[in-house]
Amino acid sequence: MKDIVTSVLLLTGAAASLLGALGLVRFPDVPSRLQAATKPQTLGLLLILLGTAVQVEFESAATLLLVILFQVITAPVLSQIVGRSAYRSGTLRRDTLVVDELADPMARDDDPPGPTPRGGGGGPS
Amino acid sequence: MSHRVRQVFWLTVVWVLLWGTLRPATIVGGVLVAVLVAWLFPLPPMRDPIPVRPLRLLSLASFVALDLLRSGVQIGWETLRGGGRGPAAAIIAVPLLAHSARVVAVLAGAVALTPGSYVLQIDRTRATFWVYALGVGGDGAVERVRREVLVLQRKVIAALGTADELAASDRGLAAARYRSAP
Repeated sequence: MKDIVTSVLLLTGAAASLLGALGLVRFPDVPSRLQAATKPQTLGLLLILLGTAVQVEFESAATLLLVILFQVITAPVLSQIVGRSAYRSGTLRRDTLVVDELADPMARDDDPPGPTPRGGGGGPS
Repeated sequence: MSHRVRQVFWLTVVWVLLWGTLRPATIVGGVLVAVLVAWLFPLPPMRDPIPVRPLRLLSLASFVALDLLRSGVQIGWETLRGGGRGPAAAIIAVPLLAHSARVVAVLAGAVALTPGSYVLQIDRTRATFWVYALGVGGDGAVERVRREVLVLQRKVIAALGTADELAASDRGLAAARYRSAP
């Protein structure tokens, strides 16, 4: 029974990771590739780790759960940072965009000379 | 002071989990490392305490887990189906209904795990954030994504926001509905 659960989870996870890798090749620009790199990949890793956690003893399973937690916390940070840099550096394919509601405020922000001071010290204000 | 103690406690828990053994030496080592980390990298004090609403937190967690599953399937499908041109995408402005760093951080994380979208930019002075979303080809898809993100935001605030934020978000949500209605 345990083995069936593990094999289903591992195979589904591997398929999800494969789809993510395929998306990385097939999607046209950085923001959409990011989607392929973060979502099916996170899902795939989660499924593989869960499938492994079923097999090992409790102590090791706790460590695997920790890995899942950190993956879920860090993947969104990465996608936001890279996505914003991609937007700013203009590697976004405009022809696939239906609407861009950020273009107008961004242009207004860039208009005045010098960067606007924002949230000094790195801490949340 | 108490948030320092809590930080040390959770760091110790993480340390023990990483070692995977519950021996006295591990716990003592964990406390030492946690105190060192808490002393070297102090966190800014929080203005209001985290409300404890386990049921809503659980509901949010299961909602996000289900969303992650859906997004994995959706992106996988787009990958297999999409030609060289790529799927239709959009950058959508969504009003930010709460201002605490905690809610904004959790919200950004949750949006990144929902189908085909992540937060591109957050502007707390304008109370707006911008979501990049895939798969918005159909009619009214942009409004649908905006509504979905607002609902998710309401769930995050219900789980982690203060009572004031909850009331403010309900007002904001009602205003947003009123505006989007024809």
